[in-house]
Amino acid sequence: MSLLSPLFPALVLVSVTVYYLVPKRSRWTVLLAASWLFYLWGGLASAAYILITTVSTYVCGLILGRIREKNDAARVKKLRRPVVFLCCLINFGMLFAVKYWDLAAEMTGLSLPRLGLLAPLGLSFFIFQSTGYVADVARGKIAPERNIAKYSLFVSFFPQITEGPIGRYGALAPQLYGGSDLNFDNIRSGIQLSMWGLIKKLIIAERAGVIVNSVYSNASAYDGSVIAFAVLMYCIQLYCDFSGGIDIARGAAKCFGIDMAENFRRPLYAKSLAEYWRRWHISLGSWLRDYVFYPLTFTKLFNRIGKFTRKHIGGALGRIIPTSLATFIIYFLVGIWHGANYTYIAFGLYNGVVITSGLLLAPFFEKVKARLKIDAKSKWFSAFSMLRTMLIVFAGRYITRAPYLKMSLVMLKRTVFNFHPSALFSGVIADLGMTAADLIIVAAGVVLVNAVELTEERGTDVRLALSKKSGFVQWLCLALPLAAIVAAALFGGDYTASSFIYAQF
Amino acid sequence: MSGKKWTAAFFITAAVFALLIVSFNVLVDPFGVFGDPVFHWDSYSETQNPRIGKTAYLDREHGKYDSYIIGCSSTSSYPVGLLNEYYGASFYNLIMYGADMQDVRDMVFYMADNYEVKNLVVNVYIDNGLKIGQGEDSLSSRLPAKISGRSKLSYYSDYVFLNPNYAVQKIKDRADDGLLSKPFDVFDVETGAYDKRARDAEPIGSLADYLDAYPVFADYPVSTPAMEATDKTMECLAAVRDLCMERGISFAVVSAPVYWDYFNDFSKAEVEHFYRSLAEVADFWDFTMSSVSFEPRYFYDATHFRNDVGRMALMRMFGDESAYIPEDFGRLVTKDNAAEAVEAMYSAYGEPEANSARVPILTYHHITDEPQSGTEITPEGFRAQIKALSDGGYTPLFFSDLEDYVVKGYPLPEKPVVITFDDGYMSNYEKAFPILKEFDMKATVFVIGVSVGSTERYKDTEYPITPHFGWGEAREMVASGLVEIGSHADDMHQWAPYETGEARENILRLPGESEADYVAAVIADFEKSAADIERETGERPAMLSFPSGKYDVLSQWALSEAGVRMTVGVEEGIAEIVRGLPQSLYAMKRLNMTDEISPEELIALLEK
Repeated sequence: MSLLSPLFPALVLVSVTVYYLVPKRSRWTVLLAASWLFYLWGGLASAAYILITTVSTYVCGLILGRIREKNDAARVKKLRRPVVFLCCLINFGMLFAVKYWDLAAEMTGLSLPRLGLLAPLGLSFFIFQSTGYVADVARGKIAPERNIAKYSLFVSFFPQITEGPIGRYGALAPQLYGGSDLNFDNIRSGIQLSMWGLIKKLIIAERAGVIVNSVYSNASAYDGSVIAFAVLMYCIQLYCDFSGGIDIARGAAKCFGIDMAENFRRPLYAKSLAEYWRRWHISLGSWLRDYVFYPLTFTKLFNRIGKFTRKHIGGALGRIIPTSLATFIIYFLVGIWHGANYTYIAFGLYNGVVITSGLLLAPFFEKVKARLKIDAKSKWFSAFSMLRTMLIVFAGRYITRAPYLKMSLVMLKRTVFNFHPSALFSGVIADLGMTAADLIIVAAGVVLVNAVELTEERGTDVRLALSKKSGFVQWLCLALPLAAIVAAALFGGDYTASSFIYAQF
Repeated sequence: MSGKKWTAAFFITAAVFALLIVSFNVLVDPFGVFGDPVFHWDSYSETQNPRIGKTAYLDREHGKYDSYIIGCSSTSSYPVGLLNEYYGASFYNLIMYGADMQDVRDMVFYMADNYEVKNLVVNVYIDNGLKIGQGEDSLSSRLPAKISGRSKLSYYSDYVFLNPNYAVQKIKDRADDGLLSKPFDVFDVETGAYDKRARDAEPIGSLADYLDAYPVFADYPVSTPAMEATDKTMECLAAVRDLCMERGISFAVVSAPVYWDYFNDFSKAEVEHFYRSLAEVADFWDFTMSSVSFEPRYFYDATHFRNDVGRMALMRMFGDESAYIPEDFGRLVTKDNAAEAVEAMYSAYGEPEANSARVPILTYHHITDEPQSGTEITPEGFRAQIKALSDGGYTPLFFSDLEDYVVKGYPLPEKPVVITFDDGYMSNYEKAFPILKEFDMKATVFVIGVSVGSTERYKDTEYPITPHFGWGEAREMVASGLVEIGSHADDMHQWAPYETGEARENILRLPGESEADYVAAVIADFEKSAADIERETGERPAMLSFPSGKYDVLSQWALSEAGVRMTVGVEEGIAEIVRGLPQSLYAMKRLNMTDEISPEELIALLEK
């Protein structure tokens, strides 16, 4: 089932009602039933993948728990390794087979058989989430879950399974199993958050995305300004679609009294690309940091590299190179997580190169700043940094959506050398299916989203502030978005709802 | 507001919105699911979804019918009137576009339980072998829930929470509705068939013209159809057959014509399996492949043939030989001859040229010693041209000869020609008639009704007019056997400067005139013109020359309602008429004759 399906709110409504009707200690079973109903709605075929992940990580968790109980620290370290390795082999092997095998076969040029497997809903999300659980058990941060049904709920909790956020067992499990009390403030927050997500997704992203496909797939037919406009629309679409989806998910969870991790923290206000990645798809970034970056930097290999660079290069540079290398690897992984495609590999490299060079050149920038007497804390410099980050992100978006890598280069080239701003007003936007009304709605939507985000960036909780307004204003802020969503849902698109962009990742 | 209050406000607001949407969709009801309470527009519902729309219509009106012809959209082309005549029954054409045999089975079972059904004709089309049971996904091709057995909740919620664009569009379309069918109301409610009035009135013309109008035939798109549904299709058809036997319903199967270039895309093994399986289920009349399949002018596209082709098919089935039917068109296929029948499909052959004829139609107006315009000619010039025709071995024809060729299939002479005069000038009688007599050549004069006998004045004005002959002259010419009188409208060829009110210079609709008023005016005008001609000469004309050569589909249709079976315009060219397509007698091209055209040039023009 998709989060946009009209059945989704129906499922939430029914399961929330039942949830608060059954005794507190059984409430988790309602979530479990709803989750499996949600997941299997589209067919039984995809159940195999989630079952393999559930069972393999559950069993590994139990074994690791047993190892921790029966052995001292040194022996635990030794014994846990093969278990974790096996668990990763099963799950990432499956992920690789489904998402990357065909690409790898193509890239290596070997005559390997193509699998042509279709990725089931949320494959990488539940694999990341449950292998994170296994790692936490291995590290002794949490005790393994003994009840496989309860554990299965952690893997399959329905609001988050399509597009995250990737949850941590320690934070999520107590909320899932505990059963919360009925609190209408939670229901209100949940509905508000979901509506906010639907506005971003249905009203802004859908419209912004109309021209993206045509322009990206045939860039040489358009002038640079049109391409740049399409890339801008893609940025808007991507953010509103993905963060909107997360808000719908978090809103649904909130109705059960469950707080899910934040996945976006106003990425527009990031002052560097590294910070951007700490604000965009946060749960993926932190997962990679905790389960890849740290372990990687503590490996023997990285130790040796560190020693080598300190000895032979020395200075700040010598200290920073191993971290930079790890950083590079992480962003490379971020790239290929998003898609099994050359474009995403290039996107990963792009991010890796920009961030790593930022790290490597940091001492130099400090000197420049000192020389030019720039106050890094001034408003102007912050604005400059934000703008610079936006541009870097913007340029990166040339890469990901193009059907193949060369097309993104064509697009960049045309943007720089054939900009022709007048082309933007030649009616081509309307020809591509974006009417003036669509443009106004997208622009108004972007202004609205930014107004809300700016308020939140300044530390004001918008929903809290709203709850202090008059009853009529509160009602308006409920009725207008609802009307807009209903209208968008009914009138939207070609009479059929489109699926989320992120569900394919 | 407390969280509780807010939540209550949310659900109340949501309920109000839902109620508004539901009311809108139910009241406007674009698919006719809820009985179309406001618009009562059956043709619209049927166009949106023929399965739902027609069931709703028949649930109300099935008392009018006792027999049905059913199938996918090619079914529409079998004229219900002819079926009624042959069966002595009252048929309804239950065409459902995209229908597969499962739709047919489900509809027939429903009808047999709920309506009176005496006769059932099932139209089986080659495409029925491609797919079955896929229509339920789409709003516009699913069956009513009570027939398909789909859950009522899922069925009605789809239409209750329909995209309001459908309803908005219906309201807009209502304002845009006209007399002839529009893309949003393509069905004729009474017969159930597609309303083809407009298409049956469009001119056909030469093959080249037709390919311009229907470019799909020029380079037919190649497809690779896979007949994966043959067995299931036949199971469904067998179920229908068994039901008919059980309920005593007469059951017939007809297999529709296919355009050759599309037919060739199918694999022969699959085609053979399809038609042999069909013969196992029931004997059937097969029209799949014949010389008809090779004539694009018999088709709208590869899968839809013209109503005249459907007419010929029914005539063949019922042994009606009152009109032309291509000899190789249709055969009764049984289990025993199925293999031969399939072979015959592959040896079918046709040449469009063989069933069509080029007929030059010459246009003259006034004959005078001092031609003033490009429509006038000197007596000498006229005589030279007629002599050239006579010497060249051309046989002059009346319009009825053309009709005999098209409708009855009679042969035409080797060098046919039709000589026509527009307006009915006295000079036609005084100058041309003697020359016609001299060479024993026939001609048709299209007279303007109100001008017959006006020798001095334009109608009842003081304005002078070129003299027109009167009924006496007309009778004399007709009596000679060399002249027939056609209509050039009674008073729809007015001369604007001499008229006081808004002039009707041609037969087209006036700006601001309603379609209904216009059609009534055209019919009345021709009725007057034809009645006068019949009264005075004894022959009621079935041919009309468009005043100023102007016409459109609406005017052509209105005229055909009035009984006009042949029309000519002023578009330059040699007319081409097609056997079996009376429609090819509409808006025929003509050649305008002047002194500029020497006798040699005329002959060269005709032989081009």
